[in-house]
Amino acid sequence: MNSRATRAFATQIVLGSLVALGAGGGLGFAIVDLRHDISVSANTARVLDQRIAETERRVAEIGGLVAAGQSPEVLEQRNQALALGLVPPAEARVVRVGVSVTDRLAANRKAEIFAAETGQTLVPVRFNLGGAPR
Amino acid sequence: MTARGFAHNLRLHLIAGAVVVSFAVVALRLVELHVLDREHYLSQIQDARHRVVADPARRGDILDARGDLLATTRTDLTLAIDPWALPEKVEAQKFATRKAAYETEQRAARAALADLLGVPAADLEAAYAPAWKTVPVAEDTEDDAADGRVRVRYVKFIEGVTEETFARILALRLPGKKDPVRIAGLTHERRFRRVYPHRDLAAHVLGYVNKEDVPSGGVEAYADRYLKGLSGWREIERDGKRTELAQFRQREVPAADGWNVVLSIDCAIQHIVEQEMGALVAKFNPAKATIIVSDARTGFLLALANHPTFDLNEFGTAPLEKQRNIAAADLVEPGSTFKIVTLAGALNEGLVTPATKFDCTLDSLVYNGKPRRFMRDDHRYDHPLTLAEVISHSSNIGTAQVGMLLGERRLYDYARAFGYGERSGYPLGREEPGLLADPARWSGIDITRIPAGYSIAATPLQIHYGMGVIASGGQLLRPQVIRQVLDASGEVVYSFRPAVRRTVIAPATAETMARMLQKVASPDGTAKAAAIPGFEIAGKTGTAQKLINGRYSERNHVGSFVGFFPASRPRVVVSVIVDDGHPPGGGTGYGAVVAVPSFRKVAEQLIQYLDIKPVAAPGSALAAIVPEGGRR
Repeated sequence: MNSRATRAFATQIVLGSLVALGAGGGLGFAIVDLRHDISVSANTARVLDQRIAETERRVAEIGGLVAAGQSPEVLEQRNQALALGLVPPAEARVVRVGVSVTDRLAANRKAEIFAAETGQTLVPVRFNLGGAPR
Repeated sequence: MTARGFAHNLRLHLIAGAVVVSFAVVALRLVELHVLDREHYLSQIQDARHRVVADPARRGDILDARGDLLATTRTDLTLAIDPWALPEKVEAQKFATRKAAYETEQRAARAALADLLGVPAADLEAAYAPAWKTVPVAEDTEDDAADGRVRVRYVKFIEGVTEETFARILALRLPGKKDPVRIAGLTHERRFRRVYPHRDLAAHVLGYVNKEDVPSGGVEAYADRYLKGLSGWREIERDGKRTELAQFRQREVPAADGWNVVLSIDCAIQHIVEQEMGALVAKFNPAKATIIVSDARTGFLLALANHPTFDLNEFGTAPLEKQRNIAAADLVEPGSTFKIVTLAGALNEGLVTPATKFDCTLDSLVYNGKPRRFMRDDHRYDHPLTLAEVISHSSNIGTAQVGMLLGERRLYDYARAFGYGERSGYPLGREEPGLLADPARWSGIDITRIPAGYSIAATPLQIHYGMGVIASGGQLLRPQVIRQVLDASGEVVYSFRPAVRRTVIAPATAETMARMLQKVASPDGTAKAAAIPGFEIAGKTGTAQKLINGRYSERNHVGSFVGFFPASRPRVVVSVIVDDGHPPGGGTGYGAVVAVPSFRKVAEQLIQYLDIKPVAAPGSALAAIVPEGGRR
């Protein structure tokens, strides 16, 4: 066998292998980099998904707490605890007006304005808040 | 001497040979991994990394007519402990000093955790005690010993931990440490849980979802197909730390959350009714009671309250007796509230007018050739009663005579047409059809009893919707609770419309009945306390003796008042039915005593809340502020 030809063949194998290694390595690095980017993007999306789910969970929890806090029963208890004196409207406490409301309000206002001239004395209204003793 | 250098023949051959051999080895290894041992390694990967994760759908909310939450879903967590994780992690520390420091840190963390959860630290320490359990030897694959003993790796510690508490656990820091501490062996499992913010409000309407996510009764069961949604799933891979590798998500079916259901029940009206129920129970201590409020024009329920009731969040501790919706599932004799059927039937057939008079001093009357003895009236009358007086005084004798005029078959047909003896179509849960025998099976005295509401049985809902026939102008309406179904974005998926079951009587008959029923709530009627000036309260009291051990009791009664207002253009129908109420001082639980006051209190508040305008007599000043409209 020709030694020159043998050397040339061996050199080609070595060089070919080196080129193949280099190309394969480069391709490998590119793929790894690509997959890394995909992984980072996917994990970012997953984390965002988790945060959205977590936010939705908190919203649902707070929504439930708000609903419970606005329950008529709870509001009534707070009304009592804070002595706000709020009472549900009842027909017995309502004065129904048979005439025009505008005329009635105007008449009341006029009565207040001209009270001094006509010599009438207005009695100031006293509010008894929360059923507190007078 | 010739320089041999790099390209020396032997060296070249060696290098080339080494390269070829290296590639060959790699290739062989690849063949071994990917071809020969493929199944083995794939199954390992599948077991270790591959998972199918369920993505449960969130159950939709139940909202009241104003959009307030009646039932919602939130997540909570179950904390569990792997008792062996701690000794394994301690063992993994290389140095004795580190082991001691790690143990000290973990002990402090556990103490802080117990403090945060509000549980005794000793309980937590007990859960961390390593333990073994016995399994069949064939299942003992934990180690090579195959002795039938495996480590207990899961000890459930606490359920119902809120998201807020869990966030604080994750952020738990020990003094002097910058980063949150990771508590060894602590695992968590998140799951959806149904909560009812208003607790026992409308309990029998809503129903509940149990811990196995199975709906039980009420809207929860009936509207389950809308509420439950569709769970999803996804195939994932995890790394060695059990963190999902999101890039390897393979197939994914996202969950579709359940739709929201809007009810006709109004939270405020329900509260008014339940508050009154509480007052009624405190005063009369009844065995059972029901208050029902519905829209007179559509039949939609605005409120339904029962006694006894229960807290929906504590359904596990409520006996089944309390969970039964007695408005639909219990039968009572309607008593005098049934008289509207007899009188409306006779009026509708043209057999009588409001002015037709009846001798209510009779003890018996011949019917079909035989004398029939009447039930006695509570009062003696010195003059014949008109039909209007028969109803306002609730005369059993007068009503029985009207029943005789109508005849057994027509009375039966009208009773059926008013909804007695058949299910009303109430959609939520079990409903009794009631008891109304065919006339062929009536006894001789039934024609004197049934017209007055005895010898039959009905549910409170049937009694309520029977009165609804008068209020609606002659139509029997179907009880409905669900108004709309909304998707997650709030778009209306389905709207429920009022449903008329049948036309029972002519509108003119209904109007005549309404006017006569107004007299019941007048100073001459049996329910004078029900009157609210200006609001035309129409209704009928009922007092039925309870049948106990086959005999009518003199001490146990079902007292009721079923009414609507304003009579000339009805807005709401309200029923108060009190089973075995005991008035303070030992009186009889007449409808006028136990039910009428509650009716009035509920009606007064409904007037304000629903902004129902007073109806003035023609020509009065109030007519100026009464809006036009209404049915009649």
